[in-house]
Amino acid sequence: MPVTLVDRLPLPNLKVYTAGSVSLLSIAVYYALSVTSDPNWRANSTLARQDSIESGQGEQRSIPDQLQPNSTRNVSEQFVDVITFMMQEPLCMWTLINIAYCSLAVFGFAVQRLVFGPLRVAEAQRVKDKFWNYVFYKFIFVFGVINVQYMDEVLLWCSWFTLVGFLHLLGQLCKDRYEYLSSSPHSGGWAHVRLACLLAGILAAAAALLAAAAVWGLPAGRDTFAFMAAECVLVLVGALHVAARYALALCAADAAGAAAYYVALGFEAAALLAELALAAAQVAQCSMLVSMASLVLLLQLRHLLHELQARLRRHRLYTALATHMSRNYPMASKEEVEKNQDNCAICWEPMKEARKLPCSHLFHNSCLCQWVQQDASCPTCRRALAAGPAAPRQDAARHPNHLFHFDGSRYVSWLPSFSVEVTRVRPEAALAGAQLDAAAAQLQLMFPQHSRAALAADLARTRSADLTLDNILEGRLPPAAPPRPAPPPPRPAPARADAATMAAATPADPADGAGRFSRCAAEREAQLRRRKQQLVEAARRRYLARLAPRS
Amino acid sequence: MAGSALRRLMAEYKQLTINPPEGIIAGPINEENFFEWEALITGPEGTCFEGGIFPAKLHFPPDYPLSPPKMEFTCEMFHPNIYADGRVCISILHAPGDDPMGYESSAERWSPVQSVEKILLSVVSMLAEPNDESGANVDAAKMWREDREQFNKIAEKLVRKTLSLE
Ligand SMILES: [Zn+2]
Ligand SMILES: [Zn+2]
Repeated sequence: MPVTLVDRLPLPNLKVYTAGSVSLLSIAVYYALSVTSDPNWRANSTLARQDSIESGQGEQRSIPDQLQPNSTRNVSEQFVDVITFMMQEPLCMWTLINIAYCSLAVFGFAVQRLVFGPLRVAEAQRVKDKFWNYVFYKFIFVFGVINVQYMDEVLLWCSWFTLVGFLHLLGQLCKDRYEYLSSSPHSGGWAHVRLACLLAGILAAAAALLAAAAVWGLPAGRDTFAFMAAECVLVLVGALHVAARYALALCAADAAGAAAYYVALGFEAAALLAELALAAAQVAQCSMLVSMASLVLLLQLRHLLHELQARLRRHRLYTALATHMSRNYPMASKEEVEKNQDNCAICWEPMKEARKLPCSHLFHNSCLCQWVQQDASCPTCRRALAAGPAAPRQDAARHPNHLFHFDGSRYVSWLPSFSVEVTRVRPEAALAGAQLDAAAAQLQLMFPQHSRAALAADLARTRSADLTLDNILEGRLPPAAPPRPAPPPPRPAPARADAATMAAATPADPADGAGRFSRCAAEREAQLRRRKQQLVEAARRRYLARLAPRS
Repeated sequence: MAGSALRRLMAEYKQLTINPPEGIIAGPINEENFFEWEALITGPEGTCFEGGIFPAKLHFPPDYPLSPPKMEFTCEMFHPNIYADGRVCISILHAPGDDPMGYESSAERWSPVQSVEKILLSVVSMLAEPNDESGANVDAAKMWREDREQFNKIAEKLVRKTLSLE
């Protein structure tokens, strides 16, 4: 469920944040040192606090023996003193919490640099979406569902969710990167090893968190444990799914074969069911109160149910198609597959097993299944086939969404406002009137090169901001004034320059021309640019040479 | 779904790089988005478009190669089978289901065995031999039929423009 953050928080970059945090910490430590250097600081601060008796459960030491001035304090004792003091003093405490978050951010950054390198745009976007989505729902959970009363409880939940959320984000990154690596032909082995290591780390950390939930959550009650464990289970399922795909790839299984399909089905269903159970438990927890939180959760519940339904529908279609295929088109025999030297004409990949059409053309089972849903003919010779169960058109399968606005400032003044897009059940009640105008205005802010009228027209057609967004991003909705790519800067092409000087000006680099396919994306891009430039320059030379004798 | 599309596009890109057809270059502009390609097509010899280098964009759908890509020229074009906005109207780019012109047999339309290379080669032959029955650009079709000399003059001008000689 995508969350569109309307008012983005101005986040400082990591360097500034780290520098700020470290300097804050050093100020706090300096302050703590200066206070604790007085041997009687404990007595002083305790006396000062005696009137205001607070919960401070950490400070149960007997005061009398601390009162004796201890002149020979060694370093470790002083360290303990400093820490104790800082845990007591609210300002220092916040500094410590801040530095903990900062180190987590630095750690995350290091992991990202080490394992992923620079993130791809799509990956960064996914992580950002997931992050805000997560923050939104956990906020709802902490303040709307379990209704925590005390600050220390809030802090505990926050730190728990921070850790789990950190694993969630890493898991998401792993999944995206795995998909990218497995689909790009030149992925180095090291990239896979690093990713697998990180995956193992995530699995271990999630298991450890699950154990922690059992140790600390169970005594606090079943519900607490369930809420804590559910998140760990979600992380585990996601990471295990990627691990299972790795295992399948290692066994050289067909990426679109039955085994891969059922693994994907199992994990996706498990993740959906876990999420569904979590949402249902949250709704049950706050069932007595009709509040903002329960409304949001109910909407989420409905969305998850729809997802599950859609998944089951897809599965039914898959099985129907599989029986249709096996009834009508037999698998090719081993000899036939071996005799056939060609790759599958649909995906261009080699075939270990194949399905044979009556015209004796061979294809991967999965490739053929997908094509037959679209057109009942042989891709190679166009001979008509018996029509199979047709897939619903993709557009029809996607329900138009509607924007759900969450005004965070109603809870706490500094909270941003969110718009959550929620699946809508009645498609006929679509975006209309003021809602449509608002959505168009919002989209125009994001894509200033599109005219408001064009956006509104597309919104009226798609009836969903989400679909229109897809249309824009995938280029189906061109900008109002299509920015024609600027023509290449008009080179003052010497009209009468002889071919020799022109050739010297553009030395043909043999390593650069065709025939070489670099392993590195940046190199490939550069090579493509150079090849294009050379083609244009060669054409210009030829054209001028052809023109010369005429004039 | 997108994974297999990406693998297939990468395979095609590799083939087009290692073994490019004469006068044709194609590849993703930015590999962050492998579904957006730019192609350069050399005007076929012996025709009015000879010598020009015509840039075009290819947009691939996420379920490529089950669905065809869309292609549009990004330079100014004047041709019976190219719309004024640069979109190319050619049967190989039409999905089997839709037939806007109603004259194509399904054999000429898109199928997953087609490829970027085949599309670009068809476009080259389309430049050489316009199909004046399709009405993507009615003016161009009319001029092609009735005033070939004028058509050639315009084409010559376009060629000079693509080489930035004008
Ligand atoms: Zn295949
Ligand atoms: Zn066939």
